[in-house]
This record gives sequence, C-alpha cells and structure tokens, in this order.
Amino acid sequence: MTAARATVSPPTGRPAAPSQLRRNTGLLVVLAVFVWSALTIDVKVGRLLDLPSGLWLIFDRMFLRGGPDLSYLPTALQGMIQSIEIAWVGTIIGAILSLPVGFFAAKNVSSGLVSTIVRQFLNAIRAFPELILAVAIFIPIAGLGPVAGALAVGLHSIGTLGKLTAEVIEGIDTGPVEAARAVGGNALQVQRWGVMPQVLPEIVAFWLYRFEINVRAAAVLGFVGAGGIGLSLQQTLVFGHFAKSGMALIVVVVATILVDSASGWVRRRIIAGPGSKPVPAEVLDATGHLG
Amino acid sequence: MTAAPLSRRPTKPARSPVLLLGLLAFLALTYLSLSGQFGIGLDIGRLIDDFGRVTTVLWRDNPNPARQGLLQPNWAYVPQTVGPMIETFQMAVIAAVIGCGVALPISFLASRLTTAGRITLFVTRSVLNVVRAIPDILYALVFVAAVGIGPLPGILALILFNVGVVAKLLSETVDGVDQGPIEAARAAGGNQTQTVRWAVLPQVLPNYVAYSLYTFELNIRASTVLGIVGAGGIGRALFAQYKLFNWSNVAVTIVELFLLVLLIETVSIWLRRRLV
Repeated sequence: MTAARATVSPPTGRPAAPSQLRRNTGLLVVLAVFVWSALTIDVKVGRLLDLPSGLWLIFDRMFLRGGPDLSYLPTALQGMIQSIEIAWVGTIIGAILSLPVGFFAAKNVSSGLVSTIVRQFLNAIRAFPELILAVAIFIPIAGLGPVAGALAVGLHSIGTLGKLTAEVIEGIDTGPVEAARAVGGNALQVQRWGVMPQVLPEIVAFWLYRFEINVRAAAVLGFVGAGGIGLSLQQTLVFGHFAKSGMALIVVVVATILVDSASGWVRRRIIAGPGSKPVPAEVLDATGHLG
Repeated sequence: MTAAPLSRRPTKPARSPVLLLGLLAFLALTYLSLSGQFGIGLDIGRLIDDFGRVTTVLWRDNPNPARQGLLQPNWAYVPQTVGPMIETFQMAVIAAVIGCGVALPISFLASRLTTAGRITLFVTRSVLNVVRAIPDILYALVFVAAVGIGPLPGILALILFNVGVVAKLLSETVDGVDQGPIEAARAAGGNQTQTVRWAVLPQVLPNYVAYSLYTFELNIRASTVLGIVGAGGIGRALFAQYKLFNWSNVAVTIVELFLLVLLIETVSIWLRRRLV
C-alpha cells in the first residue's frame, strides 16, 4: 500500500488548463461567417456616417423642436386602442383554441402519433410571423382592417400557446389522474378533474403573457393594412411627418408598458396569490418565447 | 371528542369577489373589443360568407405561372430568391454578433449583483424596458427614414432588438448566479471588473452563448418581416410579390422561409443542448 501511494506524484504543480480547442474552433467559425457576411453584404458602409445626423434630425423633429404634435394624440390613442383590441381578441381566439390543441399535443394524455402530428402542426404555425399570416391568409379572406389582424394574431397565438400548454400538461403530477380514473372517471372527466386544476393557473398566466406580446405585434400590423396604430406610424414616418410619429411612438411605448404592468400584476396574483412577491420573469421567459 | 364526525362533506371555500370582478371586466373588455361600434367589428357570420374568397387566392388558372394561386408554387422562381435569402442570413449573423457583443457589458450593469450603483441599475433597466417596448419593424422604419432603404437599416434594427433581448435574459441569469465566487474574488482583492470577469462571467457563459444562438434564430424570423418596410432581406422580395398578387411566387418564398427557419432552429437547439 505504502509503496503504491509513493509512486503517485505529489500535487505540486498547477494542473494543466483544460483544452480550449472546441471553444476556439467555435469562435473562429463564428468570426469567419461574420467577416464573410460583413464583406459581401450589399451595404454601403459610408451611409453609416449619415446615421447620427439622420437619427438626430428625426429625433429632433419627433420630440424636441418639431414635436411631439399634441393635436395628433386623439388619432394615435384611437389607433392604439384598436391595436389593444386586436391583441385582446387574438389572444382569446388563441387561448380558446389552444387549450384542446394543447391536450392533444401533450404526450402523457394523448397518444404518441397524435401528439407528434399536432406538435408538427403547431411548429408550422409558429414559423410564420403575424404579419405574414395577415398578408398571405387573412387579408385575402377578411379584407383590409382589424379583423384580419385579430385573426392573424389569433392563429399565431394558437401555435405558441398550444406548445406551452402541452409542455405544462406534460409536467403534471400523475396522482390526481390516477385517482380520477380509480373512482371511475371517463376520459373527459379525467382531464377535467385530474389535469385541468393542476395546469390552469400556469396556462392562464401564459395567456396573459401572450397578450402582452400580442399588443406589441398588433402595434405594427397596420404596416400591411391589418388595423391598429401601425398605419399611423407608417404613414407619418414615410411621409416625414415626424412630429406626429413622435406622438404615436410615445403612445405605443406608454401603452405597452402600462399593459405589461397590469398584466404582470394579474399574472402574479394568479400564480402566487394576493400580497405575494413578484414571480421572477425568467419563469416565463425560460420557455424561450419572448416574441 | 368534541370534533364533528367526518361523515359530512366539507363546505366549499367561498369564491373571492375579486374573481367575479375579474370575470365582469373580462366580459366587458371582450364585448367592447368585438363590437362594431367601439371595437374591431368581428362578425363571424360575415367571415364565414367571406371565407369563400380564400379560394381565389389558393387556386387560380392563369397562363403565367407566377400569377397562379398559393397552392400552385412557381418553382421557377427559386433562383431569384437565393440572393435575398443569403442577404437575410448575413443580416442575421452581423446583427447577432454585434448585438450580443454590445449586450454583454450592458447586462452586467442591469443586474443587481454586478451593477455599478443604484442609479446605473435604474437607468439601464429603464432604457432596456423602453428599447424592448418598441417592435423591431418600427426600428427598421425609423432607420429607413434615417439612412435609406436596404439591408443597413434592417441590421441596425436587429442590433437594437438583440441588445434588448439578450440584456434582459442575461441580466436575469446574472441575478441568479452563485455568490460564493463573487465573495472569493472580492476577498482576494479583485475590483468590480475583475470580479465580473473571473467570478460571474464563467458562470453565465454557457447561458450567454445559448441566448446568442436564440437571438440569431429570432433574427432569421424577424428579417422576414423587416423587408416590408424596405429594410432588406427576403421580406422585401416576398412583399414585392405580394403587392403584385403573384401568389405562386409568394408560396415558394414562404416554403423556403419555413425550411430555413426549421433548419436554423434544429441546428440551434442541438448546439444549445450541447452547451447548457
């Protein structure tokens, strides 16, 4: 024993640093792709020199000397209210339809094949931003206007909410499900009494979170004629009425932050009850769905 | 012994009045939003009548293959989309690299543990909140007004968008790191920068790389719509075809986009799994 121990060299020197080969290769690849992109993309770098003066000119006319144009406030408010309504209706469409879809997409309460198919369908929906959905599907159906916007927001929300719902359902405690089965519940009753009470608070929190994201999306749907404040923003910016754009921008930012805080407050109450500490935002963001 | 026998069913807990109020508020908001007078005027009956109109978009007989329906993709259009697709990819790469680089120091300023002071923390967080409140396509529109159309305003908009996302996610990760190494670094005489470099950065580096990949993914998705306001990439080609009602070309572009997003997502998820 003592002889064997003696052969092990005492730990005098510093241990060798672990290999950095993989890290360095990764960095090199990223750097190479970056340099290739920067050199071959069709950008006149000289135009960057115009950026500070151009931005300053716009900023000046939006908020300092030229504006914001207070007389534009009623129009901007009207547009923003319509955007919030689009987001609200879209979220309700998404919430109602994503709930059953989520159950079918969850591996533990649905069958393997069905859940795979439904999940692929949800992935396909999520691949398209609201603007594209509005342009390619809903404006042709409903015509220009907020209805097309609300439907586009709704369809996209089914994609994101359905996936989140399925993930919540897959994480449930199986005890209540077994109990519901043991007392003779049929398939529907097991879902209603064994699964729903466990997942509902978290799912409702996701609905509210989605509403916050949808408000942002609905603010720009007007760019393609799908209603809301986007139309005012685009028209005033394109035609250089920056004082009006400044007013509209202020309305968008303030309304977004107000909706976020109201919705965040309700979310906290649902998840943690009255008088509780804020739920850290990463609980929701960690699911990888900022927008 | 005085306890009542357990035969009776326990009484239900009383419903909170807050719940009722919330329900009323929900119904009122929904009614207002749906109504034609105050809201968006969603009429399901009319929508079902109008639904037939989608068939003219899905399928139409036209000798010109570019002007057929969404279900008749015009594959001859593919070569023309290659250039804009590459541009989209390049925009996403450039913006992700610059945006994530800028976001790194900012996220340390925006975290409780590593910030330089209460005022810095407050200012950084407020600025980030405002940056995130504005949608990326709106930035693109402002930058188009400032430097003209092309990929440049698109890249600038994506950079801002990435800084907002990464700084938020990373600063929250920094908030949650193990504080032991920080104490050790301070005890060994490290200043603020050294503490961040040697005690915090190694802990959050895998997350940082994962968030960077995630924003790259978001960039590919976002650059599909940036083109709508003239900020370059495949969105510009897509929107140009849409304006001409060349639905079969639109269909090809959408299919390609879907495949690109799927490919990038798969690679990115695979890399992120290996990292974290």
